[in-house]
Amino acid sequence: MTNKKNNGLEYVKDLPGYDRGYPIYFENELVDHLISIVLELGAELWVVKDRLAHLEEILSENNKLSLADLQTGKPSELLQEKLDEERQQLVKRIYGRLYSKYGGDVAESEGAL
Amino acid sequence: MTINQTIYERGKTAGIFPSLSSRRDEAYVGFIEDARNLLMHAQQKPIGEYSRSLLQDAGKSMETDPKSSAEAQELLMKDSVLKTYYRVKRSLQESFWECILNSFNMKKNELLQALDDAEKIGPGSVSYDPDYAVADYTKREIHLQPGGYVNEPLAGFIYDYGLKVFMGGSADNDAAHKGLASTAGAPKDGQVSRILDLGCSAGGTITALKNIYPDAEAWGIDVSAAMVRYAHLRAAEQNVDIHFKQMHAEELDFEDNSFDIVTATLLFHELPVSMAKKVIAEALRVLRPGGSFTIFDFPSANKQDVYGMFFGEMDALDNVEPYIPEYVRSNVEEVMDDTGFEMFPYDPSKGLLIGRIGTKPEN
Ligand SMILES: C[S@@+](CC[C@H](N)C(=O)[O-])C[C@H]1O[C@@H](n2cnc3c(N)ncnc32)[C@H](O)[C@@H]1O
Repeated sequence: MTNKKNNGLEYVKDLPGYDRGYPIYFENELVDHLISIVLELGAELWVVKDRLAHLEEILSENNKLSLADLQTGKPSELLQEKLDEERQQLVKRIYGRLYSKYGGDVAESEGAL
Repeated sequence: MTINQTIYERGKTAGIFPSLSSRRDEAYVGFIEDARNLLMHAQQKPIGEYSRSLLQDAGKSMETDPKSSAEAQELLMKDSVLKTYYRVKRSLQESFWECILNSFNMKKNELLQALDDAEKIGPGSVSYDPDYAVADYTKREIHLQPGGYVNEPLAGFIYDYGLKVFMGGSADNDAAHKGLASTAGAPKDGQVSRILDLGCSAGGTITALKNIYPDAEAWGIDVSAAMVRYAHLRAAEQNVDIHFKQMHAEELDFEDNSFDIVTATLLFHELPVSMAKKVIAEALRVLRPGGSFTIFDFPSANKQDVYGMFFGEMDALDNVEPYIPEYVRSNVEEVMDDTGFEMFPYDPSKGLLIGRIGTKPEN
């Protein structure tokens, strides 16, 4: 549906990125899929490691385990700090090499600003 | 009336917004945030140097004219490391939004109820119209956010959480917004009784400004009803008195000469350039003589070499930022100047976000 506010803006529909689309970056699109898969597996691996550490913490502190604690609880601050550190190391160790060609594998993690 | 606190039953993230619905989702998104920090943000400088060296070794022009740009893009996107960088960026971006969307959808009713409840409480207020005719160009899934700002009722929650991931933690507790707001321009005479933020989204900038000018009447406008509803909930929860209203920034429903300070944070790169011009003209109109307008956004045109341009342009296709290519080629300072603002000199190389400050002339 067009509306009057779009007067003079018809051209925007042809701009790259106007729709989300499915960009492919490699000649062989399998490479695109493989990179997505490998990242997704990393995230799921981390989910399991996080869950296991949380589980161990609960069990070592009070022999009683409730599923709700695991699903919606949070680990202690101390464990959270350790997990944050471990997660960063895991990302760096597994994926840093993607950029070794120009030395990006040794870059230190940083935020946007 | 109070806001249903069950939305915070897992606590608050980044000090402000509801945590995701499960530990699993939190761990997943935490992984993506780290991956973005290492594989995107931390690479920006070295990959920039690498790309520039590829261009120079191939004897390419570093100028920003369309021909040089097209040549640069062609050359750079043949390189397997750069392909990997952009593939990784796209994949991470898709994954984290999907996780955040699904996670908040698990408690959709509670979150919508909280937005309804918030309408009945202060401080501050919110007004919007479910039948408001929103301009089509704003209905894009900008930065791949599912449903964009205007087509998803939970957009506010989703955007705020996404911003945390995007900024790699540097926006936690509104730190980034507080930093920006503290550098916004102000009238020389120090008189500040009314302030306005354009494209306010979740309201981080206007909240920080209101805390700097506690006696001023504060307004945040955004084209999206979902965003102003959320912004009001967020401000009311923090006990900050702000009026939020659904409005197009290019068609402000405010009187001439009625504000002392106007700001816009990260709005301009999401506007077609012809709209950006109208917004600048509207800011000039609603400011009183001596009033100050600050645009915080990425660098534009004349400040970049061809790689800087390429980097911005890739965001269009990869990240649904259709207006960035136009934006990076436009010259925001010049438009402000031409529209009638007196421009304050600034250092364009300072940081990822630049504040352009203009004053409305006294006569
Ligand atoms: C990146 S967000 C802004 C971030 C926000 N200013 C902050 O401080 O965090 C861009 C916002 O601009 C809004 N927007 C886009 N086009 C607009 C327009 N023409 N008028 C008003 N708001 C607009 C979007 O709905 C979105 O909420």
